[in-house]
Amino acid sequence: MLALDGLSKHFGGVRAVDGLDLEVRQGEIFGLIGPNGSGKSTTVNLICGVFPVTTGEIRFEGRNITRAPPHVCLAAGIARTFQNIRLFGHLSVWQNLWVAQNAMADRKASGFLNRWFGGSARARQEVEALLEFAGVAAKADDLAGNLSFGEQRRLELARALAAKPSLLLLDEPAAGMNVEEVGQLRERLAKLRDDGMTILLVEHVMELVMGVTDRIAVLNFGQKIAEGTPEEIQNDPLVREAYLGAPQSAGGGNA
Amino acid sequence: MEDFLFDLIDLVQSIADGLLFGTTYAMIGIGFTLIFGVMDKLNMSYAAAAIAGAYSSIAILAVVPAPAPVAFFIAAIAAGLFGYVIYLLCFRFIPLASPLATLMATVGMLLLIDEIIVHETDGMPQPYPALFDDVMVEFGPFGLRGDLMFVFAVSVVSMAVLLYLIYRTRLGIATRAVSQQPVAAQLCGIGLERTNAMTFVITGVLGGIAGAMIGAAVGVLSPLLSIPFTVKGLIVTVIGGLGSIPGAIIAGLLVGAFENTFQFLRGVTERDMYVMLLLFVFLFLRPGGIFSPPDGRD
Repeated sequence: MLALDGLSKHFGGVRAVDGLDLEVRQGEIFGLIGPNGSGKSTTVNLICGVFPVTTGEIRFEGRNITRAPPHVCLAAGIARTFQNIRLFGHLSVWQNLWVAQNAMADRKASGFLNRWFGGSARARQEVEALLEFAGVAAKADDLAGNLSFGEQRRLELARALAAKPSLLLLDEPAAGMNVEEVGQLRERLAKLRDDGMTILLVEHVMELVMGVTDRIAVLNFGQKIAEGTPEEIQNDPLVREAYLGAPQSAGGGNA
Repeated sequence: MEDFLFDLIDLVQSIADGLLFGTTYAMIGIGFTLIFGVMDKLNMSYAAAAIAGAYSSIAILAVVPAPAPVAFFIAAIAAGLFGYVIYLLCFRFIPLASPLATLMATVGMLLLIDEIIVHETDGMPQPYPALFDDVMVEFGPFGLRGDLMFVFAVSVVSMAVLLYLIYRTRLGIATRAVSQQPVAAQLCGIGLERTNAMTFVITGVLGGIAGAMIGAAVGVLSPLLSIPFTVKGLIVTVIGGLGSIPGAIIAGLLVGAFENTFQFLRGVTERDMYVMLLLFVFLFLRPGGIFSPPDGRD
């Protein structure tokens, strides 16, 4: 579904992502892990068009989207959440979902007037359903910036879903969550997959990654050092070395 | 005692007239504030484009005579077009990463618009049509000029429509989303360029209405209007709080009333000094303006 082919991103002399090959298949949860600074978030930013690609190619559902700007990537069916929450803090919870749904979901079904000025009854029903999904229906008219941290995370996930994507990029969705919240997130993601969603999950919280993903790729210094099922990754010596440092070279392996 | 009473009546009259005319300042201030909100940049040519919109309606009416409301309508449409052209020339095709480049491009645009107007009119003031300029509504000792009341009514309706657009429609919500989180907004499928262009067109239309109302209230258009209205618009924006629409409305009325009061007390040559003084007082005591901007960006 999503294929990265020799993808590279250089910031000056720093090779944040260096010749990355990756394939995410339809209907799976694919984990992307690695030490800090290994290029995970950069990869997400390249896929959804925030950073221009230095070299390499990104194909999504057979289409080349290497140079596509963010709103075109979204229209193609890629939505995302952010490592540091980026809600529209001064819009209401309801408006956060409404505006995100706007851009593409209604484009074919309705004309200019509806897209810019109103919203069909169906569109409003979908917003209500997303409010329920995120568990914030009671706070629909509150400003998004006034929600609790956990609620903001859930709302951001719902906002990404509002555009009806076929691929969801999640950048550290469990950061700052307690054990109980991670458990709930795990159930939510599993349910999304059961409903047919494909997810690329960038995450540090290992209980989430190991518990919910189908396959995992490990990055270090912008390169893929391992790929496989959660069990294979847990037993991979290269991965242990990248995370813990090789026994013979103290202090190495961390970027 | 009687003299004092007459003075007081005249003073109240001045404040009322100033409040009515202040709505045009409010509209210009809203334009500056809205563009700053989505672009994070000042558009110095905004007030000049507003006046140019009014001039365009004179030019068209010279060829095809039409009543005053048609002129106002033409001014709004023309200024909306100018807004789009300014967006393309000063923001779309100039690298936004360099803050001075766009600022100076808009200053250049301001001078260009002024030069074109001076060139086309030989610098002579042009009469501008008004409505209800022969009406005077009496309230006891006070009288309200019909043309000013018309200006007030048109301005209030225009601002109400704009507020509805910004706060109640998807277009407006998308604009505010862009001003709060440009990157996230794009990743929600909101096209940045399309939204920005829309903002320039809509604020341009508002400016055109303001330009026409200025013409209708003053009775003439002259090349001497654009710089003072640029300055007044910026003052209104600063006093109201950069980025705040309610702030711009209140500050516009405040500046209008303040200016007219001191024109009455101290004469027309001194009034702007007192407006500047008001600005300094705000900069000193409340530099963020009446309302600090409601939509912070990260």
